[in-house]
Amino acid sequence: MSSESNAARESLQRNDHVVRTERLYAWAIAGSAFLTILVTVGIVLALLGEALTFWSAVSPLSFFTGTKWSPIIDGEYGLLPLVSGTLIVTVCSALIALPTGLAAALYLSEYASERTRSFLKPALEILAGVPTVIYGYMALVYITPLFQGILPVSIRLIPPGLDPLPAFTLVIPSLQTFNVLSASIVVGIMIIPMVSSISEDALRSVPDELRAAAYGLGSTKYDVSTKVVVPAATSGIVASYVLALSRAIGETMAVTMAMGMSPQLPYFPNVFRNLAESSQTMTGAMVQIASADSLGGVTYEAMFALGLTLFLITLSMNVAAELVRRRFREVYQ
Amino acid sequence: MAADGNTERTLSVDSRGRLLGLHATLFEAVLLGATLFGIVSLCILFGYIAFDAFRPLTASIRWYLLFAGTLVLPTTAFTLYARRRPAVRSANTKAFGAVGGALTVTLSTYIVVDALSPYDVVLCLLFGGYLPVVLWLIVRRTKRTPQTGLTIILAAVGGLAVAHGGYDLLRPIVGIAAQWIAYFGIVTLPVACGLWIFGRRRWSRQTARRAALSALGVVLLIVALALGLGIDPSFWVVVLSAFVIPVAVVIGEIGVTDPAGRIGSAGPFVLVGGLSAFLAVERQLGIDGPDGYLTATLLLESWHGLNASSAGVYPQIVGSIVTVGVMGVLAFPIGIGGALYLEEYAPRTGWSGRFATLLEVNISNLAGVPSVVYGLLGLALFRNALGFPTGIVLSAAGTLGLLILPIVVVSAQEALRSVPDSLREAAFGMGASRWQTLRTVVLPEAIPGMLTGTILALARAIGETAPLVIIAVATTKYSPPDGVLSSATVLPLQIFAARSNVDPAFRHGIVPAAAVVLLVLLLLMNTAAIVVRNRFDRRSQ
Repeated sequence: MSSESNAARESLQRNDHVVRTERLYAWAIAGSAFLTILVTVGIVLALLGEALTFWSAVSPLSFFTGTKWSPIIDGEYGLLPLVSGTLIVTVCSALIALPTGLAAALYLSEYASERTRSFLKPALEILAGVPTVIYGYMALVYITPLFQGILPVSIRLIPPGLDPLPAFTLVIPSLQTFNVLSASIVVGIMIIPMVSSISEDALRSVPDELRAAAYGLGSTKYDVSTKVVVPAATSGIVASYVLALSRAIGETMAVTMAMGMSPQLPYFPNVFRNLAESSQTMTGAMVQIASADSLGGVTYEAMFALGLTLFLITLSMNVAAELVRRRFREVYQ
Repeated sequence: MAADGNTERTLSVDSRGRLLGLHATLFEAVLLGATLFGIVSLCILFGYIAFDAFRPLTASIRWYLLFAGTLVLPTTAFTLYARRRPAVRSANTKAFGAVGGALTVTLSTYIVVDALSPYDVVLCLLFGGYLPVVLWLIVRRTKRTPQTGLTIILAAVGGLAVAHGGYDLLRPIVGIAAQWIAYFGIVTLPVACGLWIFGRRRWSRQTARRAALSALGVVLLIVALALGLGIDPSFWVVVLSAFVIPVAVVIGEIGVTDPAGRIGSAGPFVLVGGLSAFLAVERQLGIDGPDGYLTATLLLESWHGLNASSAGVYPQIVGSIVTVGVMGVLAFPIGIGGALYLEEYAPRTGWSGRFATLLEVNISNLAGVPSVVYGLLGLALFRNALGFPTGIVLSAAGTLGLLILPIVVVSAQEALRSVPDSLREAAFGMGASRWQTLRTVVLPEAIPGMLTGTILALARAIGETAPLVIIAVATTKYSPPDGVLSSATVLPLQIFAARSNVDPAFRHGIVPAAAVVLLVLLLLMNTAAIVVRNRFDRRSQ
């Protein structure tokens, strides 16, 4: 770099300007790394500041235990209906995504040939790459009418010939325009790749010796997959489940568009009504407040309180997934 | 399974074995079905959207026959022909990549520059781009000072500040020139310089100079021709410099250096020729095409909430491109810096080691934070703390930038990790300092991987809606943004806003067509990422 003529005479130390440049770039690079910490700090501070203002106006107790969420009309800030909406969507989408995702992961890692895998895996990844607003639109405009054509359905659980028994009938009611079912379906489809890709990594990292040993004992491929590989990869599979659930909880646009904006506590004996009717999640309530365009005020701060709750839930789930993965991972040498 | 004690029995398949076999087949079928479930349902939903957007049933059979005959058949035949021969195939891919990439760059450049006003862009470029380059050339010619990189960055920032400060004075002076001169400065000069630099590496110095000069000459010739005919040459300047010249260079090079695969470069022209033949015959014979909603009106007009036939999403498309571009400019350097620190600088032990671990954990957690929460951060940061007006491009881009930062960092880390340590050790062994090693050895190897990750992150950001709703970006706007401080809207927000419109022409027409536009943008970005990655893979082998 420097003038070579007197380089031989000088000591092996670098030139001053090289050292200075070096230090400068090191600081710049460390600074941009530090910025990522500032993002987290910023999130926490931004949420906490407004949320604390909110909780000084509305007591945290009534926020977390209230059973009515009607911020704009009645000024009621009860979180429970929103939690119930979020939980119903999460559970229903999990019913779709968790078994499907695990089966897909098992197929890709154990059964699929390299060629099949090379185009099935990217195709699965596309499911997570489609914008959620398009998923929401599909649920609202295409999936809901599809089910509205089939429903309502009533099934007699006990065949008509047995008269002494009461006639148990399972009634799935007809769908409203905005309903939980279509939202859960698209959220379920959306989080399949999350389950399948992380689970597949876990399944593929199970060493071949275990498979070979099981085959050597006379196991079939089915036995090897279900009784050896899946148990050996449990920690990774559980971690993928938790991450997928956390993604479903934080999902916003699809549930806002397809589920409507009427927060409900769950209907208990008539479980299917929960799916057929409109509801609202925490994220949906945040979007509703933001679109209402009221700057400031208790309702506006309520959005931050919701955000903080959501942030803490998803953060703890992500941390839990990481802990499960580290704690229960079998290490094969 | 084994029949103990019965030596007569062989290992042949008995009925129990057959049952087991059936069981295994069933299990595999179920697994395959589960794998395909999501893909197939998505395809069906896409099918609905495409059906509504294009309305294929409204076209006549003759139209389909014409379509197949002019477009599908020749292209398929050529592709099949090319697939058999590796040399032809690689030339074909290269030519398609050049045509597609140049077309995308041309159109997006023209759209964005046109929206932002070419005079403003040329002013920024003059002070923030040309001035530092000239300065750099002077510095390099006279004496190589140690802080060259810093000088250029400072000169660029200073130039932009001068341009901003003296805007009121300078803008009228620049405004005297005709519009095509501005486009000439924005597109043609950089392309010619690029050609010159490219040519000096590939060919001889003399050829490079001749190529660059002749490119400039051709553009000026066309300008003279257009002016003579009384047409505004602005658009043609952009097309000629950003599309025709690069494509001609790539295809000319294939023709000269690769005689075996020469025919492959005709691939795009088969497609384009088929397309023009198709359009000509369609117009000549008056065949009815499908009466779809994805029309020129949709792409070039602004939104109309009541009349579907005059509704368009042009401001939204421009808004999306500008927002995502600004976001990339903000997030790319910081993300790369973060990755460089974690992979190259961070010590593994002591307090700084703990800091690095904290950073890693923090980044992986940030990637899992729901996007709405980033909207709240953007709201608090840009509107409450910095006091920006609601819904401007800069705050939207900043919010999305924070959202994709962890993705950029993680993908850049992976790119850095794939650079073998032997390269670093060799550079250190030659006495290079850490930054010198990074700049001259590690970064050139890792940049394609970093770019791939960043483009994928941009593709994720272009579909992101929730944070923008939270920071109250306007859902409908009737003009494209004309600067980073003006308000804008993006495509997904318009789709979100139009959900409550029950008019079937919107619900089953304009909105699916807008969704198709958004998906095409996504597809283009993903293709770009794949192309960059493939080039990278080939080089590293």
